Amino acid sequence: MKFIHLADAHLDSPFLGLSFLPSKSSLQIHQAPNKSFTKIVDLALKEDVDLVLIAGDTFDSARPNPSTQIFFAEQIERLTKAQIQVVMIFGNHDHMAEADLLVPESQYFKLLGDEEKIESITCQTKTGFTYDVTGFSYLNNHITEDKASQFPSKAAHYTFGLMHAQEKTNQSAQDVYAPFSLTALKDLNYDYFALGHIHLRQVLAKDPWIVYSGNIQGRHINETDKKGCYLGEINEQTKETTIQFVQTGPIVWQQQVIKLNSEVSQTELQNLIIDSLNPNETTYFCLQISGAEYLNDKERELIQENDFWRMISNQLDYDSQLVDVRLSANSQLKIAESDLAFFNRAEKELFATDEFTELSKDWAKKDELSNQLENAPDFLQEVKELAEVKLNSKLKGISDEVKEN
Amino acid sequence: MKLKKIKIVNFGQFSNVTFDLSSPKLNVFYGTNEAGKSTVVAFIKQIMFGFHLKKQSSTFFEDYTPLARVSPMGGSLFFENNQGDLFELERLYAGGKGLKGGTLTVKLNEQIVPESVFFEEIKNIDGDFYADSFIFNQDMLAKVEKIQQTDLLERIYYLGASNSDQLIDLRDDFAKKASEIFKKMGSNPPLNVLFNKLKDQRIKVDEAENEFNDYRTLSEQEKTQASALRDQEQALQKLQSEQEQLRQLQNQVPNYRKLIELEQEVEQVEFDPEKYQAAQRLDLEAKNLQKEQSELEQQLANFSSNDENQIPLKLLVQKKPEILQWRAEDRDCQQDFQQVSQQQEQLLTLNPDLHQITNLTQVDIIQLQNDFEKLPASEDNTSSSENAVGKYATIGSGLIFVIGIILLVASSPLIGGFVMLIGLVGACWGIGKQKQEKRVLIQQAKQAKLIKEQRITFSHKYGLNPDQLDLHSLVNEWRQYQMLEQKKQNDLQHERELNEQLAKIAMKISATLDRSIEPSFEAVIASLDELENRLANSRHIADQRIDLQKRLAKTQAKLHDLNLRLKTAFAQAQVQDMAEYQVLQAKSTRQAELKTKISLLKDNLGENLAEIKQLQESNQVAKKLETVQIKIDQKQEVIKDLQTKDAETKVKMTNLANSNAVFAAKQELANTETEFRNLSIEYLANLAASKWISRALDLASNERFPKMLKTAKEYLRLLTNNRYNSLNIDKKLTVTRFDGKKIKVQYLSRGTSEQLYFALKLAFVEQIKDQINLPILIDDSFVNFDDQRVNQIKQLLGQVSENNQVLIFTAQAGLVEKLQLKPLTFTKGTE
Repeated sequence: MKFIHLADAHLDSPFLGLSFLPSKSSLQIHQAPNKSFTKIVDLALKEDVDLVLIAGDTFDSARPNPSTQIFFAEQIERLTKAQIQVVMIFGNHDHMAEADLLVPESQYFKLLGDEEKIESITCQTKTGFTYDVTGFSYLNNHITEDKASQFPSKAAHYTFGLMHAQEKTNQSAQDVYAPFSLTALKDLNYDYFALGHIHLRQVLAKDPWIVYSGNIQGRHINETDKKGCYLGEINEQTKETTIQFVQTGPIVWQQQVIKLNSEVSQTELQNLIIDSLNPNETTYFCLQISGAEYLNDKERELIQENDFWRMISNQLDYDSQLVDVRLSANSQLKIAESDLAFFNRAEKELFATDEFTELSKDWAKKDELSNQLENAPDFLQEVKELAEVKLNSKLKGISDEVKEN
Repeated sequence: MKLKKIKIVNFGQFSNVTFDLSSPKLNVFYGTNEAGKSTVVAFIKQIMFGFHLKKQSSTFFEDYTPLARVSPMGGSLFFENNQGDLFELERLYAGGKGLKGGTLTVKLNEQIVPESVFFEEIKNIDGDFYADSFIFNQDMLAKVEKIQQTDLLERIYYLGASNSDQLIDLRDDFAKKASEIFKKMGSNPPLNVLFNKLKDQRIKVDEAENEFNDYRTLSEQEKTQASALRDQEQALQKLQSEQEQLRQLQNQVPNYRKLIELEQEVEQVEFDPEKYQAAQRLDLEAKNLQKEQSELEQQLANFSSNDENQIPLKLLVQKKPEILQWRAEDRDCQQDFQQVSQQQEQLLTLNPDLHQITNLTQVDIIQLQNDFEKLPASEDNTSSSENAVGKYATIGSGLIFVIGIILLVASSPLIGGFVMLIGLVGACWGIGKQKQEKRVLIQQAKQAKLIKEQRITFSHKYGLNPDQLDLHSLVNEWRQYQMLEQKKQNDLQHERELNEQLAKIAMKISATLDRSIEPSFEAVIASLDELENRLANSRHIADQRIDLQKRLAKTQAKLHDLNLRLKTAFAQAQVQDMAEYQVLQAKSTRQAELKTKISLLKDNLGENLAEIKQLQESNQVAKKLETVQIKIDQKQEVIKDLQTKDAETKVKMTNLANSNAVFAAKQELANTETEFRNLSIEYLANLAASKWISRALDLASNERFPKMLKTAKEYLRLLTNNRYNSLNIDKKLTVTRFDGKKIKVQYLSRGTSEQLYFALKLAFVEQIKDQINLPILIDDSFVNFDDQRVNQIKQLLGQVSENNQVLIFTAQAGLVEKLQLKPLTFTKGTE
């Protein structure tokens, strides 16, 4: 038996930080999730799989664009017409009711666990191999209870778990996506647990299989690496399962770092950047410049400009793009030794969560997005890095004043 | 670190000036204004931290007359540290060469060492730090005066940190930048704008996402509409088929009427087609026979008119063989005539003399012969020849006689005998002849002479040469000729007789044929042939006629029989004759056709017949049709309306299906979010940088402040002439007045605040003395050294110089006097 496990298609999701892209690339990135999804369906047909598992967040919103629904329905119909069983659940993004789906009725299409009820179905492949799929769908954007603990015991035949969920954390505020404990999940001993929600592809356990397939197309710079789905094969005699990742996402995001140890001219900087970006497929780059304090104000301004990114992008292969530049300092603050200790302490204190919360509260409480960003470590890191660069560059200015003259 | 000596090579207005600083504690420089006090202060600072050219503005006190353009500029400072090591710092700047800040050479105990050896001694502070912390002069005062009251307080507070002034500026700068990006209550800063934009766009996304619900609603609506439409269309179909049915009925009304008409024409006719056909056959047969009969009669009539008498013809024809005989005879005559004529010609040719005598008669010839015989012979030729003839005839006859014997013996006694007889006769004749000849010859010889004369006469008379003349043969020939001539005459005679008979026959034929027939054999025979044919023909016709008569009789009998049978048939069909019978047949055919038509119509009308009968009678078809049409029209109207609505819904659905609105709105929101995120980072980085500095200052101050307070308290007391005698820090800084009242710093007067600031600054220098110990430079314009306070000041300086070397720059002689120190004085130019 063969199956495909995919999740987090986020069809029709917007792309962050790409408003400056030329329209061709805009279109390309807009169509990327659909392309990736179509490729997965192509793969299912080509491999003649028996089952396609969709582990939630197929749509980016609970009220998706009708055209997206129609697109999805068409693709599912390609599978059901080929008598490929499709089992799907809703995730926290597409927390919908089954009735909201435009997919035409078919014995080969099953929305599992409508209205957050845990549901099991038993199916048979064309060769007569019997398997169960157990799972549930979101109706609301949050599920705080541990759903996995309510899953039924494994049946005699091969059993798939299908769940859109996140592992339990220490902070209960974050445990809003059907938090599960990995141990409990292992104890269930389902043959294959197909998970969705975490966009980073990862195998949590191999015996039994507990797998996040990741999303099918990276949507921003923090979703790097190749994206796609898992193609699984089950030995019908031994029930032994092997999986293989298949890349379908047409665009890859990648972080690239350059380190500056001394001042550079604008041309040198430009060459350094181009040399460091070597795509071998369509890649969207985020460039991290460490040692940004060596850049003067003009250069710093320049490399943050979209026009500059476009100019760099034009020299990249495979329609690749430079879409972000981040700066960080890589040297100590230029400050009197007598006070350096105070600055370091100040930094530690300042960027500790509470202090920063206090600092940013006016900003944070103003909007849900700012509130959300405030709690995002990567955002905090970026703020910290930029503050370092800024301060370092200024202090450097103070101490350099005499020397330069 | 104590300053031992100041050695100026060239700096400002000084050249080659050296100051030896005798005291490690307090030294006084005395000079009037503009004497060069500030220049020395600048010199000390700049030798340590680098020259500062006038053209570049400085935060601090270097704003004085440009440095003299003498080269090299600079000089040396000599320091001694606590361990007694001697540092010499020489900084020189030769116009255009080396660093603008001058080239620093550091010697430790007269050995050149890296400059870092010196700077590590002073913890790597920079010029700003030094100027800010160790120099108290007019520039500093001016700067302080510019500071706002509140800021001053803050600066007082942060005096615990080095570079605090610059850091505070930097902090404020960052804070300002941050507030330019975002203000808590503002609406114009870009981040505030973005906050609002985010809210707006979320609403837009929400609105756009309604498309999904709209689509679903439309989809449901469309289903309902489509089903309603189907129902209506079905109803319409029903009506249309009803209408069709009625139209069919209506179309069949004429058929129905026709049917009625036809049914009325139906009647019973007795008619047997087989019998009719039999009668027809009989009738036809009778007609044929009738015709045959009249033909036969006609033929017979023709024959009788051709009748004629055949007998004379027969007689004539019987003559034909005879005539053929005649013709053969005639031909023989002609041939014979010709032959004879030819023989005559031949004779004439053979003997030309014959010509001379052909016309002579028998008598003439006898005369001739007589004449000739009378002529004397000239020669014996004649006798010899005559002898020979007899001889030969005798021999020949003898021969024949022999042959006759042979034959008699050998084969036929009859023929042999006859031949022997001939031979015998011949031989007799021959012998006789020979005797005659001998007599002639004797006569001739006797008369020879006489003859000669006679001869000539003879030749003239007859034209014959008697000498050469063989009269005998000539006469023979003449006889032959005459015989031939006679024969010719006979032939001619016979011909004439034949022609006469032919002419008679020709006349008879001409009469018979009633035309003139040429009396020639050919014509006559031809006409006889004709007659013969005619005769044969006549006989043939006669035979035919007999035959015809027989046939006629037969036909008449047959006809009679047929007519009888016809009459019987007519009687059976109750008709008079065939014509009447035909009428009856036509009638019967028409009825059959009627039946067929009726049956067809009935088939055509089929099941409708009953209905049409009923409706036609009440004439309701048209009415019903009208009603149905109205219903159809109404239905179509309804359907059209439904179709329009359905199409509208579908268009809306298609629009929604093709709509990019949700994505567009989300993308726009995402773009704004990105913009927001980036600007937020900028804002927060600025805010954080500002806070960071603040925090670092806090930390530095908090660390040092309590220690500083103790010292600062005493300094403040001295500076305020005992007016304020205590400083406390308990979250907020307070000052205790002489009357024991605690006053918060913000409520101090400007002047007192300044004094507090300086007190704290001095305390700070003292505070860091263990790490950084450098001379404090104090200009008298900085402190109010009036008489009243002079003791306090002296006391203050005394205290300060216990920790740090103090260099006083003053123009006040009183102070110098009070301090009881030998002052260093300035000499302009080269000293």
